[in-house]
Amino acid sequence: MKNLLKKLSVVFLSFVLVLALVACGGGQTPEQPEQPEQPEQPEDLREYVAVEDYQAYSKVALEDHKKAIGDLSAYAELQAGVQAAYEAGIAAIDSAESIKAVEEALANAKAAMANVIPYAQGIQSFIGLSNAEKTEILGLLEAYAVRNGITGISLFENGGYAMYNERVKLGTEKYIVGYGFGILAEGDLTADLASEENAKWKRYLHSNNAADPGTANYLNDQGSEVADFYGYIGASYFTTFMNAEKNGYDWVPELAKTMPEAVGGANGASTTWRFQVRVGSELKYSTNSAIASRQAFNNREVKAEDYINAFILLLNKNNGYFRGGELANTSGAGQIVGAKAFYEASAECASYEELVAKFEELVGIKVYEEEGNTYFQVQFATPLDSFYAMYYISSSLYMPVPQEFIELVTPANYLGYNAEKTETPVDNSLSLGAYVLEQWDSNQQVVYSKNPNYVYAATKYAIPGVHINIFPAMSSDPEANFKEFIAGNVDSTGIPQTKLEEYKNDPRTRTTTGDSNFKLNVNATDEATWEELFGTNGSVTQTPEEKYWEVEPALSNSYFVKALSLSINRVQFADKRGSIASVDYLASNYMSDPVNGISYSTTEAHKAAVEGLLRDTDGCGYSLELAREYFRLALAELEAANLYRAGTKENPTVIKLEIAWMYPQHEEQYHNEIKQYFEEAFNHESVSAGQYKLECEFWVGTNWSDVYYNKLMLGQYDLGFGSISGNSLNPLDFMGVLSADPAISGSFTLNWGTNTADPDADVLVYNGVRWSYDALWVAANSVAIVVDGASVPAVSEEYVQTANEDGSYTEKVTITLNAEEIKDFTVQAVVLCWYEGEYKEVELTESATVEEVEGKIVVTVTVPAEVVAEYIGEMGIDVIWGADLGVTQLSGQYISVYGEYEAAE
Amino acid sequence: MYMFKYVLKRVGFVFLVAFINITVTFLLIKSLPVERPIGQMKQQIAYCEEQVSLGYFYRFNEEQKNLGPYVLQTEGQKPVYYYQVPVEEQYFKWLKNILTKWEWGVSEQIEPNVKVTVIIKERLPNTMKLNIIATVLSVPIGILLGIWAALKKNSLIDHTISTMVMIFISIPNFVLISIMILIFAYNLNWVPSKFPNPGAATLTFIKAYFIPVFCLSFGSICGYCRSVRAELCEVMESDYLLLARTKGLTKTQSILRHALRNAFVPILPSILAEFIGILGGSMILENLYGINGTGSLFITAIKAKDYNVLFVDMAIFNTLSLAAGIVLDLSYGFIDPRIRMGAR
Repeated sequence: MKNLLKKLSVVFLSFVLVLALVACGGGQTPEQPEQPEQPEQPEDLREYVAVEDYQAYSKVALEDHKKAIGDLSAYAELQAGVQAAYEAGIAAIDSAESIKAVEEALANAKAAMANVIPYAQGIQSFIGLSNAEKTEILGLLEAYAVRNGITGISLFENGGYAMYNERVKLGTEKYIVGYGFGILAEGDLTADLASEENAKWKRYLHSNNAADPGTANYLNDQGSEVADFYGYIGASYFTTFMNAEKNGYDWVPELAKTMPEAVGGANGASTTWRFQVRVGSELKYSTNSAIASRQAFNNREVKAEDYINAFILLLNKNNGYFRGGELANTSGAGQIVGAKAFYEASAECASYEELVAKFEELVGIKVYEEEGNTYFQVQFATPLDSFYAMYYISSSLYMPVPQEFIELVTPANYLGYNAEKTETPVDNSLSLGAYVLEQWDSNQQVVYSKNPNYVYAATKYAIPGVHINIFPAMSSDPEANFKEFIAGNVDSTGIPQTKLEEYKNDPRTRTTTGDSNFKLNVNATDEATWEELFGTNGSVTQTPEEKYWEVEPALSNSYFVKALSLSINRVQFADKRGSIASVDYLASNYMSDPVNGISYSTTEAHKAAVEGLLRDTDGCGYSLELAREYFRLALAELEAANLYRAGTKENPTVIKLEIAWMYPQHEEQYHNEIKQYFEEAFNHESVSAGQYKLECEFWVGTNWSDVYYNKLMLGQYDLGFGSISGNSLNPLDFMGVLSADPAISGSFTLNWGTNTADPDADVLVYNGVRWSYDALWVAANSVAIVVDGASVPAVSEEYVQTANEDGSYTEKVTITLNAEEIKDFTVQAVVLCWYEGEYKEVELTESATVEEVEGKIVVTVTVPAEVVAEYIGEMGIDVIWGADLGVTQLSGQYISVYGEYEAAE
Repeated sequence: MYMFKYVLKRVGFVFLVAFINITVTFLLIKSLPVERPIGQMKQQIAYCEEQVSLGYFYRFNEEQKNLGPYVLQTEGQKPVYYYQVPVEEQYFKWLKNILTKWEWGVSEQIEPNVKVTVIIKERLPNTMKLNIIATVLSVPIGILLGIWAALKKNSLIDHTISTMVMIFISIPNFVLISIMILIFAYNLNWVPSKFPNPGAATLTFIKAYFIPVFCLSFGSICGYCRSVRAELCEVMESDYLLLARTKGLTKTQSILRHALRNAFVPILPSILAEFIGILGGSMILENLYGINGTGSLFITAIKAKDYNVLFVDMAIFNTLSLAAGIVLDLSYGFIDPRIRMGAR
């Protein structure tokens, strides 16, 4: 028996060992790696498209190129030149006899047409243009992005269906883009909520939230959840209410009393704006706190200094508020003069008085009395028109608060709990908004009551309160809130996918638009471009060779990417999910005219930009026949470029696309259907007769954001699901995320393939001159220094270091101004700095000489031997400079160069 | 004396194991890559600055750039570099605060700036109340069902109970609670769909315990039932019980006086183990039913990456489990005098 057991054990162990070896790949001998069999190229190449057909498509492409150049009727000479190049191009295409020759003829014709148009040059800024003119630029940028595939493949907009309880009287039955149904401000509740046990709250608007943010301190929040809780009690200088026709909205003063007026000029574009604000009996704080020290602030009148205090509170670095850091680091539109400088300086301020003094000295904000009125004045770093001046100062983050209150509750506890939790956000907040916090039961419910002191309390916000129930089940069960709605416990809900058919025609259901378009982002780089952007010395990120991404050449073919897009039946896809089918990059809530609430998606500029995506489709970018035709064109071009060889029906050449998603459940939710669309279109007999096969693979990371940080932003993907939202009232600014330059996109470029800094990458014409995408974007949003159509820094530098015999070093930095219009260049400081366990610096400004030599600025400075003796190694020299660009003043700009220092012998 | 030494030794081990557990947890969790915000550069800088103020990041200038992976630069400004404070540095700082000031830190995400101990103190009673009720309910029901099944061994009743036990022991309580909410809260409208908020009527609160208590107890009831049935069946076939019957004791007398006593020796200590099991099971359940307890706090803390809360919550569960382990060991000695802990 024992022997039998022994034998059995040996057999079992051997079996386990064999299994382990197989699992570890031990069965394969390294000398004979299994090689995939290379498909033999068929002798007679399959003709995917006839040359004549390809010529016809190429002529359409050339026609599109002409359209992209735009209307040049104001520039007769240019128009004639472009027309001549166009005609020559058509002739060349007609005479070409092979696919490759036609392709070359088309490329040459495109270049010839573009070369007729001169490059933009010098200092350029379009920041003061009207909304209509800015919409034109936005349309040009969007059209460029669509042509070059850097908007990705749009799938759907996240709007859809919403249900409202029968007792909810909406402000309007028609959803207003960027505003909503006006439930709180203009709506009402017509009956009690039966399931609410507290009699006082029966007429409050009831909703669920998955989590309790634990604070209403929006000043220190990164997401949008706290902002929602703060929004009820917050007030801003200006706000919006539904218009009389109930089809749009109007901007009205809230904390302000008057609309903004430019200081020292007409109401065009200006950096400095002012308006009257409410103080004294016109505006009073409210609180529902039962604590006596807080009650003392109830009905306290707002003082002029409270307005300034709000900014000091936000920008004081010692408070560590997230939104303060964000405001301080805002650049371009909306940047407040001196905010960054005050943010940095505040860290050294020991008292409130010091903070006030520093604020007055540095920041372009002041509140003053004039003829019995109190004025608020703000200076922006770049000129803005009256709307954007109003918009950028309208944040509820700047809601006034008395310094005595902050001293009482402390900045750490403001709008939240104290450390011992004896005080709640009800006790540590003051409201100037439509509602006041009434009760905050940790992780259970948050309740607001109507604020009797609110500026528009008499005419708006008829609903007496808001009740938010904390309902954690919502985070794990997508139908939890819907069930609560059906049970009559809440007033509104979205409709889950499984209930869509049943409820989309329910009388309680309304349709809404969304605020974000979800898309498949595309890595359209070829090997060389990928290397340039992400290789070992990449300009975006540096990747070790063993982690290089194997780019799929098909994705760098524009016909192939277009075909992928055309193969998605968006209407069907979105309908199933209760969202809105869309081919657009920007969602409907992005405004081309934010003053009048006109969505960019309704403009002619947008329609022209996406015309190419919709041509010959179902109206939403879907056409299976066209998709297959484009796949054939793509295969013809890819084979002509020797990028692929056709396989056989039995052993086809496989094109593998990995699609990266955020969550594992996206496989079921989205991937399988997308994969089916792509594969059904490409793998059809009519495309390659089975000689090629498309396979889509699913990828998901451990964290939802991995798709961004580990895939899209690093170029480690073929296709990747994702979306980012920006400032919906300034879509022109948001277009920056399409730039391939991380400095412009904030490192949030998700689609790669086109060098947006290169004016020759594609034609982009505005004002009769040629631009790169980046240059036109910078000029439209701030000030661009343009050289040959490309955006360049205001200055460039050359650095020469000379070691002297006495151990000192002479440093020479030669600065070239990149535009003639740059005036009053001044060197503000020269600093030598290094790291030696800690950061150290020596200011050398006084010993520096600045002279102009042949139109260049030469800064010469000597690093004394005794300083060199202190630290041997690499030290940095920062030349801090300022200049007048005409439309704006630059100050505190850096040029950093690095020198190697050795000890004197 | 032996017993005293043994208890001391075990208590010492509890502290040691708890310390090791918490340390390992701290080091592992803190070694996770820092999640970066998705947004524009100004938001990324603001995020890093916030991390600096929380003591998790250092901020450096260009001259120290080789130290940090986070390079942030706004147009025309000097680049700023951030890097994570080394985990060991964070750990020793954290440990020092606990040992010298008994400061476990404040919450950073869940309830910003509130002391973690205050948050736990507020929620622990809710969890304990729920778990004690579930335990108290499950012990008699489970044991009675077990006895009934044993006495009716191989009858229809025994088969029915055993089948039900098999079914309910296999269903995780988070599945059970979803089904129960659907049936009893949404379809029949007998109980609230979520644990009520403060201010609700007493009857609503009482009704609200129905679903979570039953979901938590089902597993334990089944466990007790199965163990009691098995033990009792074995005892009832033993010689000494036969002897008791031959001495003239009735069936009831023999079971009550002899069979049950002996059958309970291995069962009673398991009540504590079950209690700890229930405590663990209540994490998901609390979250699903909106109960403001330490279980749901644990899930929320993981999601929100509120490490201070997470560590203290873990420490509580850890210490409770370890303490229960000691009590369990010691209880054997009290229940069965033949067992003497620590004796050589």
